[in-house]
Amino acid sequence: MTVRSLLLRCYPALWRDRYGDEFEAVLTERPLGPFDLLDILLGALDAQLRLRGRGAHLAQGRGLSMSLRIGGIAAIVGAGLLAIAGFLGFGLVLVDGAIAPVLLVTGLAVLLVALAGLSAFQARVHPRLIWLSFAVTAIGAAASLAGFVGTALAGDAFWVVWFLGSMTALAGSALFAIATYRTAVLSRPAAALLGVGSVLPFLGFAVNGEALLPAAIICFLVGWFALGIQAIRLDRPTAPAGAA
Amino acid sequence: MRTKVPEFGRYAEPSLLILVSLSDGPKHGYAIMQDVEEGTGRPMGAGTLYAALARLEEQGLIEPLPPVDRRRPYRLTGVGASNLAEQLRGLSEFAQMGLRQLGKT
Repeated sequence: MTVRSLLLRCYPALWRDRYGDEFEAVLTERPLGPFDLLDILLGALDAQLRLRGRGAHLAQGRGLSMSLRIGGIAAIVGAGLLAIAGFLGFGLVLVDGAIAPVLLVTGLAVLLVALAGLSAFQARVHPRLIWLSFAVTAIGAAASLAGFVGTALAGDAFWVVWFLGSMTALAGSALFAIATYRTAVLSRPAAALLGVGSVLPFLGFAVNGEALLPAAIICFLVGWFALGIQAIRLDRPTAPAGAA
Repeated sequence: MRTKVPEFGRYAEPSLLILVSLSDGPKHGYAIMQDVEEGTGRPMGAGTLYAALARLEEQGLIEPLPPVDRRRPYRLTGVGASNLAEQLRGLSEFAQMGLRQLGKT
């Protein structure tokens, strides 16, 4: 069973009878990225809710859809959380020791939404690179979460899992930056800044140069912020509220 | 006489973009997505496209044509064309009002 037919099966049978054939034809026309996958899953949820709400007929409803705007907001929020977590990690502000890891894990989860929302065009040109960046970030975020929970429950032995997971997730951002830079659909300087911010921590730990870490956090934050703001601007509403 | 513009909620904007795309002739789903993306610089996923198409078809603003190689083209109906004109007039009035206000500052 292919990914396309699996996605199609997420829709109600009634919907598939009417639109299934042409929908599958559309899906075969271009590579599917994380953006398309989320958009289709939200579309399937919308179809399920609409058909349940009105039996055999399609009903009105506010609906759900994936957009650049969602990705842009997630990029700003996720990078902001990670930057705060990073600076708290330096001990600049004395807070409960669990706050920084919680912010970091939450930020990584939000960045996954950002990656999906901002990768629609890159996935058409570099689908493997985009999927790799998404998968690496997801694996890193999951390991980071597992490490955090393990540290809280079983002690410092799990700290290394948390650390390696977080670094893996950073590598995901670096791959996304490369895809974005090569595709040039969003700002190349912002993608370059994000790439530098994602790679500098590895250099910092490799050469024991902790001084690099604040610079890395700032580059990472500004890179994601710039991409997020650009995405939100691109997704400006076409119509004033209530016009359509 | 002003025609009533249906409420499409979250799909109001994709629906408007689809109607505009179909205004120069029938198109199938993938061609609509390409047209919208080229015209706006924003991605349109297949999930959003078909959620909006279903609402537009249900409201009688578009109608399906016989499929060609599994690709089914859609075209504007008469009601769809007048609804689109109504929406575009509303947008134009809104834009003119904004421009007038900018001119006053």
